[in-house]
Amino acid sequence: MKLTTLFEKGEFVVTGEVGPIKGAIHRDKSIEPSCAIEALQLHQHVHAVNVTDNQSAVMRLGSLAASVRLKTNGIEPVYQLTCRDRNRLALQSDLLTAYSLGIDNVLLLTGDHIQLGDHKEAKPVFDLDSVQLIDMAKGLKRGYDISGSRIENYLDMAFGAVVNPNSDPLDLQIMKMKKKIDAGAQFFQTQAVYDVTVFEKFIKKVEKFNCPIQVGIVILKSPQMARFMNKNVSGVHVPEDLIEEIGSVAKEDRKKKSAEIAGRFVKEVKSICQGVHIMPLGWTDIVPDILEYAGIKHK
Amino acid sequence: MHATIQKPIDEIIKHIQPGEKVFVVGCNNCAWKCYSGGEAETEMMAKRLEKRGIEVAGYTVPGPQGMSLCKLSHTRKVLLEDHADEVKNADSFLILGCGQGVHTVIDATDGGMVHPGCDTVFGGETVSDTHIEEYCSLCGDCIIENTGGLCPMTLCAKQLLNGPCGGAEDGHCEVDPERPCGWILIYERLKKLGRLDLLDSYQPPKKNSKWSRPRSLEVSPTEATFCSISGKVTISNQD
Repeated sequence: MKLTTLFEKGEFVVTGEVGPIKGAIHRDKSIEPSCAIEALQLHQHVHAVNVTDNQSAVMRLGSLAASVRLKTNGIEPVYQLTCRDRNRLALQSDLLTAYSLGIDNVLLLTGDHIQLGDHKEAKPVFDLDSVQLIDMAKGLKRGYDISGSRIENYLDMAFGAVVNPNSDPLDLQIMKMKKKIDAGAQFFQTQAVYDVTVFEKFIKKVEKFNCPIQVGIVILKSPQMARFMNKNVSGVHVPEDLIEEIGSVAKEDRKKKSAEIAGRFVKEVKSICQGVHIMPLGWTDIVPDILEYAGIKHK
Repeated sequence: MHATIQKPIDEIIKHIQPGEKVFVVGCNNCAWKCYSGGEAETEMMAKRLEKRGIEVAGYTVPGPQGMSLCKLSHTRKVLLEDHADEVKNADSFLILGCGQGVHTVIDATDGGMVHPGCDTVFGGETVSDTHIEEYCSLCGDCIIENTGGLCPMTLCAKQLLNGPCGGAEDGHCEVDPERPCGWILIYERLKKLGRLDLLDSYQPPKKNSKWSRPRSLEVSPTEATFCSISGKVTISNQD
C-alpha cells in the first residue's frame, strides 16, 4: 500500500528502518536474513519499513532484494534508491523493476558519498541529483522516460524524499525541499532531530507546502554513540543534556531510557507533523515503547 | 592552467630501462608556475637522474617564461632544430608538464617514446604564487549562470546541481571537513549579490555527451567548432 493513501486518510504514519545484510539472502527460504528478522519485529508496530541502499556507502545486499523479501513476508517496504551508484539508465530501470516486483513506496535520495564508506576508490556516479531523480521518476509515472520516449505500463508508486531540519542555512535546505515537491515528492522523512525548537522552527517555514512530513528519530544508545554521531555524522546534533540523560542510567537500563527520550520527543512534536520515521539501528525491540511513550496507538 | 605535480623520483626511474638515454623536457607555462617543470626543475631533474646512474641525452624548456609546451609548432622547432643532435641521440623523453604536454612531445618528435614525469591533477586558478585552486571541471556544459559563477560540478563533492545535500557541518563539506560546502559558498555569494532568486529554478540533468572524451576544438579568428559525441557546435564571435 502506498504511504500517500495513509497520509490522505489523516493517519499518523509510523515507519521503521532496516539495513540489508552484508551478504546474500540464503537460498533456503526458511532462513531469514537478519534485516528481515528485524523488520518482522517492527511489523506489528509500524506502517512500513524503510530498506536502506548501501547505507553510508558500505556495500551490502541490494535494497530491492531486501525490500522484496519484506514484501513477501507481508511487511510494507519503503525501497530506498540513491544516485551514488547508478546513472540515469540504471535508476529508471531499477524503478521499473521495483514496481514490477510489487514495490509501492520509494524514497529517492542522493546517497552518502563514496568517501564515507568501505569502497573509497570506487567511482562516484551522481549522474543525477535527488531533485532530478524525483523529476525523472515522475516522468515514469506519466509514461515517459527521461529521454522523452514512451514507456508501456507506467509505474505507480508513492515518492518520498528527505530533508534535514538541522541544516544551516535552513533557507537553502528549504529551497531544495521546495524543488523536490515541485518535481513530484509526495512525502518527506527528515534527518534525525533531537531539539524540539529546531523542528518547530523548520515546520513553521515549510507548513505552507502542505506536504506530509515524518520526523526522523535515530535512537540514542549511549553517550558514546551520541558523541560519535556529533563528531562523525554530519547534519545531526545531539544536545548535551540528552547525552547526559542517556548516560545517567546503568547500561542495562539504557534501552528503557532511550525509548523514553525518543518517545518524549515524538510526543512533543507529533501535533505539528504527519508521522514519525524511527531508525532503531538494531534496537527494534524498543520501538513499541517509544510509540507508547509518545501516545501513538499501535498500528 | 593545468596543475601538475611531479611523480616520486623512484616511480619515474622505475620505468627507465638500463642504458636508456633520456631527454628531459619541461614546460615554461603551467608546470613552471607549479614548480614541477620550469627551467630550474628541469635542470634539477637532469641532475637527479644522472645521480641515479641514468644517462641524460639533454634537457630543455621550450621558449621564454609564459610559453606553453603544448604549442606544437614551437616545441617541434625547439626539439628538432635547436636540440637536433641531443634529440637524435635520445631513446626517450621525460616530460615535466601536463598530459597535453606529453602528447605534444609525441607529436613533435614524430612518435618518440615518452615518460610522464608529472601527474596532471586539475585545471585551476593561480590564486597566489604558492597556491592553485580548482574551480572548473572542464565539463563542456557550463551551468554557472545560475550560481553566481561558482561551479557546483567542481565545488560540491557530489556534483549536485539543485542545492546542497543535508550533510554540511558548520559550513563545511561532509566528505572533506577541511573544505567549505560548495552550495553554502554559492548561497552566501548570491545572498550578497541580492540574487537568491537564481536558486529557485530547476536545473536539469547535465548533458554528459558534451563531457565525452576525446573532444576537439577547431578555431579561427571568426568562429570556433566544438566537437564531442554530442555533435559539432559552431559558434561565431562576430555578431
